[in-house]
Amino acid sequence: MPAWIVFWRADTMKKHQAQGISAGGVYRYTHRREGGADIHDVFVEKSASRLLFSYIGAMLLLANVCYALLKQESLCLSSFWCVPFSAIVAKSLQYKPVKKESLMIMPGFGVQLEQHFWSGRVHRQFVPIGKILKPVLNECVTPVTCYWSLALLVRNEDKITLVFKKLHPPVKMLVPIWKALCAFTSSDSITSPS
Amino acid sequence: MDNQGRKHRILMVSDFFFPNFGGVESHIYYLSQCLLKLGHKVVVMTHAYGKRSGVRYVTGGLKVYYVPWRPFLMQNTLPTLWLTFPIIRTILIREKISVVHGHQAFSTLCHEALMHARTMGYKVVFTDHSLYGFADVGSIHMNKVLQFTLADIDQAICVSHTSKENTVLRSGISPEKVFMVPNAVDTAMFTPSPNRLSCGEIVIVVISRLVYRKGADLLVEVIPEVCRLFPKVRFIVGGDGPKRVRLEEMREKFSLQDRVEMLGAVPHAQVRSVLVSGHIFLNSSLTEAFCIAILEAASCGLLTVSTRVGGVPEVLPDDMIVLAEPDPEDMVRAVKKAIDILPGIDPQVMHLRMKKLYSWDDVAKRTEIVYDRAMQSSNTNLLDRLPRYLTCGAWAGKLFCLVMIINYLVWCLLEFLQPAEGIEEVPDIGPLLTHLDPVDDPCEAQGD
Repeated sequence: MPAWIVFWRADTMKKHQAQGISAGGVYRYTHRREGGADIHDVFVEKSASRLLFSYIGAMLLLANVCYALLKQESLCLSSFWCVPFSAIVAKSLQYKPVKKESLMIMPGFGVQLEQHFWSGRVHRQFVPIGKILKPVLNECVTPVTCYWSLALLVRNEDKITLVFKKLHPPVKMLVPIWKALCAFTSSDSITSPS
Repeated sequence: MDNQGRKHRILMVSDFFFPNFGGVESHIYYLSQCLLKLGHKVVVMTHAYGKRSGVRYVTGGLKVYYVPWRPFLMQNTLPTLWLTFPIIRTILIREKISVVHGHQAFSTLCHEALMHARTMGYKVVFTDHSLYGFADVGSIHMNKVLQFTLADIDQAICVSHTSKENTVLRSGISPEKVFMVPNAVDTAMFTPSPNRLSCGEIVIVVISRLVYRKGADLLVEVIPEVCRLFPKVRFIVGGDGPKRVRLEEMREKFSLQDRVEMLGAVPHAQVRSVLVSGHIFLNSSLTEAFCIAILEAASCGLLTVSTRVGGVPEVLPDDMIVLAEPDPEDMVRAVKKAIDILPGIDPQVMHLRMKKLYSWDDVAKRTEIVYDRAMQSSNTNLLDRLPRYLTCGAWAGKLFCLVMIINYLVWCLLEFLQPAEGIEEVPDIGPLLTHLDPVDDPCEAQGD
């Protein structure tokens, strides 16, 4: 498992500082320290055109549904076609509801994974230090694309815990976070063997 | 040859790879291992097998992409034409591939990958591992697809001269573009047994899938006849398949239960232990482009009796094999001849000869030359390439052109949606020699 990790040693991450901000297309990464905790945030940049596109799409969908409702007396083949089409449009236009995802490293305790939604809802998950076996960067393959993701190997769980559940930030943002996690897990395992 | 010594970055594409097992799979595996040893970068792409999906590393740091497209027939993915383009493009860019090498004519994933790679202007090489007919419906369609793929290929490889002839006839590709690179055998894995078997009882080993193509029907007639003529002969049959029932019926009918042992499917790791328990290896294939099984048997020091089909006569020197026409009488004659010359065969000597004749390193070096040649071929744009497809046939040519034009448009769309610069390149880890380096070094540096 750690084999591929090795190559990340010294190369890319010289630029990472305590307050480093790296912009990379759709995502923005910030790193701050608050009351002893290390917080790594990954924001989704709102792109104006995409937002406009999603509004137009939503309007179209609404119009489509209204049209189907108004024409309800004639149930024909086109209305069957309408339903899956609306579903596909709705799915594809669902603008990523996540505003930012962050990782809070609390020395001595563990890490907290947070998902902030546009609606204001926040989803938090705490992983105690003793349960973290290793942070890993791995490659995910889907039928259409490949991306990197940062995950935690957690004791007594058969599935890995993804640090960023919805967002797929580029690897150059993940590396400093991964390194911070590595430093955190290795330093704590020295002081408090669990 | 300014390209000599240049390191390539190769993507091997086939629907067939480990955990599936067979000639193509082991060819890709061993070739990749030896190319890695020569310093090239090799990545394998195949479809997901059950729960094996995503990126895996196998021996020697060989990276394998198991793309989660479900196989639908004979381990093939559903032909989707354009749907696999995004993932193939992503892999090509992120691994900084220079040569795409497809394997096996009936792998749909391979055809699609080669098509997309051509659209994107990569150099492509194709290896054909099998022989096909010309007359039946399946072959006609397959040959059309092959013609389409090979119409615009840089270099092709065939595993024997017979296979080369077959491929050239089927696809109309110019013979100058086709190289012959044989398969090989891992002689370190297939060694003869250290103590020589007694010749009191002669054991004939058959290991093959029990299907029509492998000549299981011939076995049904040959085995009882051989048992009748030679009371000291015993058979061991390894393998499974639809024709197994026929063999078992034959065994019942002639009451040969004590002389014909049926092992069922033999895992590849145990093939050697089955082989070394016999004196003669019997291959009854009806069509065969190369036949690695013969090599494995010869490497274990067995005398081979085989049907004279396809590329089989090219595989072994005449004194290591007895050939027969694929009909029962001639095969019985060949078995008789083999039993006669058996006392003069020394398994150890045979093994040493095989070691000199075949090695995967040699295959890798020859394949490297093919890659060098492919890299020298000129770059062409879409308009130059379209006429090549037009010559494929009255209707098919136009259809192929249409497919390629749409593919080109899909590529443009993908470039617009996800520019190539936006795809992250994967750093090379090379062979896993650095495995034992302290991983947390940089982390400690970060800590302070």
